Amino acid sequence: MKVLKFDRQAIGEWLSKLAEDYDIYAPGESSQGTWQLISDYSQIDIKSGVPEKPVKNFLFPQPETLLTFSTVPDDPDAFKPREPEDSGRKNVIFGVRPCDARSISLNAMPYEKDTYYKANMEKNLIIGLTCNTPCSTCFCTWTGGSPMGTEGCDISLTEIEKDSFVARGVTERGDKLLCLATAASEASDQDIEKLSGLEKDVAISTDITALEETLKSKDMMELYNAPFWKDIAERCVNCGTCTFLCPTCYCFDIQDETLHGRGRRIRCQDSCMFPLFTLHASGHNPRGDKVQRVRNRFMHKLKYFPDRFGSVSCVGCGRCVRDCPVNIDIREVMRQMLTF
Amino acid sequence: MSTLNEKITEEIRSQAERLLSSGEVAAFLGYEAGSLPMTARPFVARKPEDVSRLVWNSFCVLNLSNYLPSLLKSFEPQRRPGEPPPEGPLPKVGVIATGCWSRNIVVQIKENQVDRERVVIVGIPSRGMVSSRKVKDLVNNREILKVIEEDHNLKVSGSDFDQEINRWDVVRDNCLTCVHPDPVIYDILIGNPSGERQVSDRFEQVNDIEAKTHEERWEWFTEAFSACVRCYACRNVCPLCYCPTCFVDDSRPQWVGKSTDQTDTLLFHILRAYHCAGRCTDCGSCESACPVGIPMRLLTKKLNKDVLEMYQSEAGMSLDEPLPLTTYNPADPQGFVLTERSEKGGGKS
Amino acid sequence: MGTTSDKKWEPKIVAFLCNWCSYAGADLAGVSRFQYPPNIRIIRLPCSGRVSANMILDALRSGADGVLVSGCHPGDCHYISGNLFARRRFALLTNLLEFVGIEPGRVNFSWISASEAEQFAQVVKEVTETVRKLGPSTRLVKRIG
Repeated sequence: MKVLKFDRQAIGEWLSKLAEDYDIYAPGESSQGTWQLISDYSQIDIKSGVPEKPVKNFLFPQPETLLTFSTVPDDPDAFKPREPEDSGRKNVIFGVRPCDARSISLNAMPYEKDTYYKANMEKNLIIGLTCNTPCSTCFCTWTGGSPMGTEGCDISLTEIEKDSFVARGVTERGDKLLCLATAASEASDQDIEKLSGLEKDVAISTDITALEETLKSKDMMELYNAPFWKDIAERCVNCGTCTFLCPTCYCFDIQDETLHGRGRRIRCQDSCMFPLFTLHASGHNPRGDKVQRVRNRFMHKLKYFPDRFGSVSCVGCGRCVRDCPVNIDIREVMRQMLTF
Repeated sequence: MSTLNEKITEEIRSQAERLLSSGEVAAFLGYEAGSLPMTARPFVARKPEDVSRLVWNSFCVLNLSNYLPSLLKSFEPQRRPGEPPPEGPLPKVGVIATGCWSRNIVVQIKENQVDRERVVIVGIPSRGMVSSRKVKDLVNNREILKVIEEDHNLKVSGSDFDQEINRWDVVRDNCLTCVHPDPVIYDILIGNPSGERQVSDRFEQVNDIEAKTHEERWEWFTEAFSACVRCYACRNVCPLCYCPTCFVDDSRPQWVGKSTDQTDTLLFHILRAYHCAGRCTDCGSCESACPVGIPMRLLTKKLNKDVLEMYQSEAGMSLDEPLPLTTYNPADPQGFVLTERSEKGGGKS
Repeated sequence: MGTTSDKKWEPKIVAFLCNWCSYAGADLAGVSRFQYPPNIRIIRLPCSGRVSANMILDALRSGADGVLVSGCHPGDCHYISGNLFARRRFALLTNLLEFVGIEPGRVNFSWISASEAEQFAQVVKEVTETVRKLGPSTRLVKRIG
């Protein structure tokens, strides 16, 4: 796999070349933190920490059109469901933090047989950017990740000095992209040493260790019936902020939207925090109480998912911690679950 | 020397302890410290020992009256529809209320969501709450690790900076234009009422938008609301939004779609604001809770302005006054009606 | 919608008429052979007080270029006060829609009694022309595909 060295200008030139075949996205300047289609690559400004919105919106477009249909008389394909047109253009997403990149492979586990997710993974190439200064709300090391992680990336960039980056190809297609970086140079031995130095220096927080093993060893029903859920859930307002901003929350709803003889079937992100999520057609709701929904979300992420797939469904990005309006802190929940 | 907020905290704790130990209330709704700087979290104290967790600071941004109906209901014994209500008095709940929160409690009483007899209101005249978003902007979004609050300043520090900020520079927009900081209803009052505030233009933000052309307004509207993820944090922290089935969850008919499609998102915000017309106290919880910084408060502020100008009514100012949209005046303005504009259609008024 | 675009665009106006006054007025206009533009599609309701903002916005969402809501004159409501509550609601809705940039003239209100057939025809003509000048509605229309 290639290992190259870039300065800012070289990155700008490389992205300009890539823009001929790919749509380039990077975190936006505005505080609303959306990923933006960028055209002026010399102006990319990566702030420390994660952007406001996770990268999952590329893998789970909100909404994703599954098929279209119509009943209008002048449509030659009326009454036949059609797959949406694919422009064939792929995306390059620049500046993805290791936690976000890891979430892509975590979500691929339950979505193993999902053709749409697989197609979106094909369509989006990830240029990761490792973290030199994690935020106080980051806890990726507790969940099995690392600020220097490369899982889920096609290329991984590390800033070894100010405005000086080492880029490593992680996958075949990442390597192919790096071949187009004519302005970059081969990384020298010193550069690679600096990189290894950063990897060794990763501050492994010893606050919580062995999260997955400990949780897997706990009895599910005991955790389920624990008394602390009531205290945690008391202040929850059941908005969906945590679920929509979480890179590893992947629940969806399928809706048919029709108007005047045309329609589309869309998959849109849904939230288990909403009472409607589990409402049955009969009117019965197995999670009609707030406490049941809050408990379910944490148990799913920290117990059911690791029991089934071997890893907690959390990458430690800290968005839910920062943005929960009532400050429900998943780190406190983890501690309570571990010490119960 | 303790700060104003520290003094208020002490007073809250002592009142809550008194109310809980004497059994006058079964629970006391207040705030406790959060796990992050500039964060406070709603907290229900149920035992006298819990009161030491109660705090009061400039980051108590969510409206506590949002929790009041469900908290009261949690103390009622379960009964099936049709069964008569239980005999005897039900447990009471204590709650902290600033100016706008107390007005929301008045609205809740008028809308029969809260029984006045069952709440013990601890009123606190408000000095305005601070917007953590504004603070973060002032330090150029560098990570803030610690904030020390003084009476008129915030000492903000990160890993490589220290900055002192004037509190008034970062107070929330709705607090800046607030004219009723004192609680309008209370059983116990902490601190001294400051009286009505003089504000040069209460509706300045609304007037700024009204000065734009329709094209400019539409551009502002679509741009400002484009980041919405439909998390419904604004709706869920609003004390007015308590419908068992919100209109967004209706499926037959489906008024708005579920995705972040622009039309559906804009319709959600227009209709939600509209449902709060005449009831909103501009407490700012919606904007404080929004994870992406959408100024949805401006829609309800516009409606509040109209209700004040056209119907001389302000939400929650009086327990006796009927809610503006549940009443009418034969002389209500109707200049917007087509047939009242032309001479032909003059007719009765 | 759903037709070939050979035809010139004609505004589509959804009208919510109250059963006792405005709908009867429209009926009388028909019986008396007063001409009015065919762009209007009428929905009959018991009272203008039944009209909620959801319905008006749903009409816009579905592609209506204009909306007309019409009821009894204040003081004459069949249900005594339905239109009086509605008057407050509509005033606020009109202002809010204008505030966010919906063109004035898309959503209209009128009081038309059962005997005012000519006025009904006049109002429909007026609304159709206003909407025609505004052009097709683009701002709160739901687009599929």
